[in-house]
Amino acid sequence: MLVVVTGGSGSGKSAFAEDRVLSFGEARRIYIATMQAFDEESHRRIRRHRRMRAGKGFETIERYTELDELILPKNCVVLLECMSNLVANEMFREDGFHPEVSEKITEGVRNLLSQAEHVVIVTNEIFSDGILYEGESEKYKEQLGKINCNLAEMADAVVEVVYGIPVWHKGGEKA
Amino acid sequence: MEMIIGGAYQGKSSYAKKQFPDVKWKCGAELTEEELLEAEGVLGFHQYIRKCLKAGANLSGLTEKLAEKNPGVVLVSEEVGYGIVPADAFERQYREAVGRVCTELAGKSSKVTRVVCGIGMVLKND
Repeated sequence: MLVVVTGGSGSGKSAFAEDRVLSFGEARRIYIATMQAFDEESHRRIRRHRRMRAGKGFETIERYTELDELILPKNCVVLLECMSNLVANEMFREDGFHPEVSEKITEGVRNLLSQAEHVVIVTNEIFSDGILYEGESEKYKEQLGKINCNLAEMADAVVEVVYGIPVWHKGGEKA
Repeated sequence: MEMIIGGAYQGKSSYAKKQFPDVKWKCGAELTEEELLEAEGVLGFHQYIRKCLKAGANLSGLTEKLAEKNPGVVLVSEEVGYGIVPADAFERQYREAVGRVCTELAGKSSKVTRVVCGIGMVLKND
């Protein structure tokens, strides 16, 4: 099963996604962390997320790019967090800007689905600040938007978390 | 406690005033903590959070204080977390703080309504 968890900044997406993973019952739980720490603020974020996950039995795999080549243990339950970081990592690379990543990343998600029992993906609603960004940032929005649409099409459930409250756009609690 | 949330210019305040015609409304941007803890209704609660952060005040414990001292308050607040992560550090902090504080408050609220185009959708009603 694929569950896509989306929402705005600081809305309680992660806590909700972790609960979804636990609701699948006993399983080998893999947390795919996509955030690279560049500065103290990102270290702080990562520490906060680690504290939230502590005691929930997750094994962490740090994976910043190339989801399509990732090999997972059998029958595991995966929590990938978060798609917005993964897309940024694939686009803004050391060797330059890669404008078209949506196919590759969608393929990467298919790769996870072919191996894992259940996959929960946290993504992000970044599309409503009414600002038209120039160049690379606007392209980034487009790619993440495309990927979110692709994920939703594949997903059994899509849920937007609004201040901790689930708003189901597809499927539902029992999907 | 009750919350009315939504994007900018969606008619949150008019919706709130219609739902609660007898409530005395205060503006979040102008409130002290004491006033907040006594207010019947607050419009622009996100601006209260912004004002606190600007002043370097600590927001931890605010939810508990409100739940204990002003459990009947109606908070109207803008959803500000649906855009690209701002380049400015204070704007990032503000955006996240509004999310975290409102997530806590929504947990304590008996009712949360989101207003889009003036229309309220009840997300939570315990």
